[in-house]
Amino acid sequence: MNAIPVLPPVTGSLGTLQVAPEARVPREIPVPELQPLPWAGAAVQPGSTAAPAPFGEVLSRMVGEINDRQVAAADKVQGLLGGREVSLHETMIALEEASVSFQLMVEVRNKLLESYQELMRMQV
Amino acid sequence: MIDALFNQPNYVAAKRMLDATAARMEAVASNLANVETPNYRRIDLPRAFEKQLQEAVRSGDVHALRNLRPQLQPDPNAAAVRPDGNTVDLESEMVEMYRASMEHGLETQLITGRLLKLRMAITGRPT
Amino acid sequence: MIQVLGGIESTSAALASERVRMDVISQNIANATTMSGPDGRPYQRQQVVFESVLRDRLPAGGAGLAGATAVRVARVEADPRAPRTIYDPLRGPVEVPNINVHEEMADLISASRAFEANLAVLKTARSMAVQTLALGKR
Repeated sequence: MNAIPVLPPVTGSLGTLQVAPEARVPREIPVPELQPLPWAGAAVQPGSTAAPAPFGEVLSRMVGEINDRQVAAADKVQGLLGGREVSLHETMIALEEASVSFQLMVEVRNKLLESYQELMRMQV
Repeated sequence: MIDALFNQPNYVAAKRMLDATAARMEAVASNLANVETPNYRRIDLPRAFEKQLQEAVRSGDVHALRNLRPQLQPDPNAAAVRPDGNTVDLESEMVEMYRASMEHGLETQLITGRLLKLRMAITGRPT
Repeated sequence: MIQVLGGIESTSAALASERVRMDVISQNIANATTMSGPDGRPYQRQQVVFESVLRDRLPAGGAGLAGATAVRVARVEADPRAPRTIYDPLRGPVEVPNINVHEEMADLISASRAFEANLAVLKTARSMAVQTLALGKR
């Protein structure tokens, strides 16, 4: 547990300061353990000694999942138009979820690009 | 990883409820189309399905929610309303239909709300 | 055929069938007093024979409709019962069509209700489909 050390109360030439016991700050303030985000830390178990997955791997996995969703949604549309057993609401939901996932990927890409450009602008 | 976006219990529950509502609407369509067919037994979702759905929603068990599949079957509790054995009661089917219509509106709004919130979280812009 | 709502073919089949039935009943009522038709005989009451047709395709959404049937008019046939004979004071016994107008009206009302109910199903299905198409959009 990380603790923030606190200076002891000051006494000195001003005479002893009578400080009520309850006014004292506790010696150590406990800091709550930070839990890793469930999806970002997918490769990392809390307390494990393995190194976290490289970001490139995480990204390519994300792209793969998004692509799978697009393919599944297109498949549902084909099923609907072809008269297979696909309902309209199933198709619409699949399309929207694929679209949201795609938007996520686009925004991640934009942010990465921004950070890269920011980095390049930095004066050495 | 992307699945985590769409695995929130309320969202999955809304999707399941939409499946159930669509199934009920199909049942009503079939029942009303056969309101004059001799010996036709009305079909519906089993009563147990409602309870299972409610239980899964209450417990927030996403896995259970995902595995719930609405299946239409002949209603064992329906009584014959005509001498020829037909068990379709026109008024109660109409009530079922309007109920399904309202629930459909609610569920599509819930799902739309969740999707729009996700988009706002991702892009930072309202639409 | 895009499945906007599973089971919509039964609805259109039912609408068609009830329409035929209403037409036949109206014709019976209109001819309830026709004592001499084109063949010289009194009008013979017509009746509709329905049959159940098992739907050959499963509905969309995998809801697994069990025993899905649609109703269809098999044929319109003449009622086999003979015309009634009533006694007319002026002309003696006369054959009149064997049509009970009250029965026909009751039949007409039930056909009409079934028709309206199926029409309501179509309208509701359409509005639900419109809502579904707007899923996820502001």
